[in-house]
Amino acid sequence: MKLLAITSCPNGIAHTYMAAESLQMAAKSLGFEMKVETRGSVGVENEITMQDVKEAHAIIIAADTNVDRERFQGITIIDASVQEAIKNPKGLVEKAASSQKAATTATTAPVQNKPTRTGPYKHLMNGVSHMIPLVAAGGLIIALSFVFGIEAFKEKGTLAAALMDIGGGAAFALLVPILAGFISYSIADRPGLVPGLVGGMLASKIGSGFLGGIIAGFCAGYIALWIKNAVKLPKSLEGLKPMLIIPLFSTLLIGLLMIYVIGTPVKGIMDLMTETLKGMSSANAGFLGLLLGAMMAFDMGGPVNKVAYTFGVGLLGSNVFEPMAAIMAAGMTPPLGLALATYIAKKKFTPEEQEAGKAASVMGISFITEGAIPFAAADPVRVIPSIMIGSAVTGALSMIFNCALRAPHGGIFVLLIPNAVDNLGMYIVAIAAGTIVTAIMLSILKKDAPTND
Amino acid sequence: MNLQELLAPSRVKFGLQSTTKADVINELIDILDADGKLSDKNQYKEAVLHREKEFSTGIGMGIAIPHAKDASVKEAALTLGISKAGIDYEALDGTAAHLFFLIAVPADSNDVHLKVLSYISRKLMHEEVRNNLLSATTYDDVIAAFKD
Repeated sequence: MKLLAITSCPNGIAHTYMAAESLQMAAKSLGFEMKVETRGSVGVENEITMQDVKEAHAIIIAADTNVDRERFQGITIIDASVQEAIKNPKGLVEKAASSQKAATTATTAPVQNKPTRTGPYKHLMNGVSHMIPLVAAGGLIIALSFVFGIEAFKEKGTLAAALMDIGGGAAFALLVPILAGFISYSIADRPGLVPGLVGGMLASKIGSGFLGGIIAGFCAGYIALWIKNAVKLPKSLEGLKPMLIIPLFSTLLIGLLMIYVIGTPVKGIMDLMTETLKGMSSANAGFLGLLLGAMMAFDMGGPVNKVAYTFGVGLLGSNVFEPMAAIMAAGMTPPLGLALATYIAKKKFTPEEQEAGKAASVMGISFITEGAIPFAAADPVRVIPSIMIGSAVTGALSMIFNCALRAPHGGIFVLLIPNAVDNLGMYIVAIAAGTIVTAIMLSILKKDAPTND
Repeated sequence: MNLQELLAPSRVKFGLQSTTKADVINELIDILDADGKLSDKNQYKEAVLHREKEFSTGIGMGIAIPHAKDASVKEAALTLGISKAGIDYEALDGTAAHLFFLIAVPADSNDVHLKVLSYISRKLMHEEVRNNLLSATTYDDVIAAFKD
């Protein structure tokens, strides 16, 4: 008979390991095979796999911290404190061994029903869920700075400038590194954090946006995991691995990869797109709006978005104001559309995302497109096309209605300034249309969110 | 980092003077502080006592492991005190404690120290290791008790 156990205590310095050893010894003396996962300050060691769970009869969770129990559905769970495991290991092992084996049908069914909770999706969601509060905090603080006037943050030393610095300069600068860092952490545990953060920072620096960040997170995580498993060191040096060997080499590798393999083509593509757009300035207005709109929504702050935005800002200098209007409107609809979708199609979003939807609506009206990133990162294949189509509709309508905008940012706050926008009424119609299209697309394309039971 | 560095000869005391839990914690912290491992003795002591309040680190089997991970610790260090007579340490199993491991870990401690500590923690669960420690009279006996 095979038994499992997890030991974990808040400090994770000594008790975790004492409990693990006493359970192991008790199991051995009673003639049972036992695998003990320790969750101490070194991180998770001797991790229990799906295969272990399948083979096991029962699991003892001796923990004074929270342990995720979802992966043990189908086998009997014996709960105990860490002290109990140290004091009375034999009693616990006997209790586990004599427990009724839970129905075997339950062992496999929940696992098969939830393919989305494992593997790459789990890693991606770990990054996204750590990023959501950062997006909300940063975005809302930037929106707050617009309350003082859309140009107020340009005045050095003012509160508006400080708010912009906190939200834009600091919180949003951390967005991609945190996303990449926690994807990598989920893959390789603690040693994955550093290469993930650095890879994400570089993704930001080379302008590859959150899509580059996702690539960085996954590459960094698997590199760190590979070094952790593949590099064998003499026992005396083994301790250096998590603090020196893995961080050094995984960070070096992911860094070079981001700069030379990802960075160079990104720059090339951006240059190419900029040239193409310039050639299209005289093309059909509606088509240009369509294209600019789709570009704004594609990667939200990434290279494609930047090319479109820079194009619009550049034209302001030549007194051409229509593309800027299309660009800002198209940048507002992704978070607005997602906020609306979390409202009309609740079951397609996790509770966490429904909360994020509220913050996204404020970011949407403030032209902070990043509000949509957590949603897009969690489910890029369905969310990105939805928001691109919505933004394209908005962009095209804004151009067709001849709306014009004389400021490069500001969202709803700029609409209140007299003469900043031409054809204001139809401009709002264009934004509303794209928002509704986005929300409808999302409620059709997105699958029901996995439940957290 | 190996056991001899973490548990230096200067921090092993064979005949503890104390007879109460409060005294033995002070006695061990004094040894640790005299060895220059703490930047703020009082702060460290508070951290240890705070940990004891959560639940006693007298884990039974004659062992107590008062410990704290705190910024007042300069460098990870173990202090071992042995009391032949035994001291009431409010142990889980109600018996007197004979072996006292005071564990000090800096707030930003790296994995190497923690690995050594986890190794020692596991070893202490084995009866023969405990017996060898109890009968130890020299530093070398102590180190030998932990070897495989």
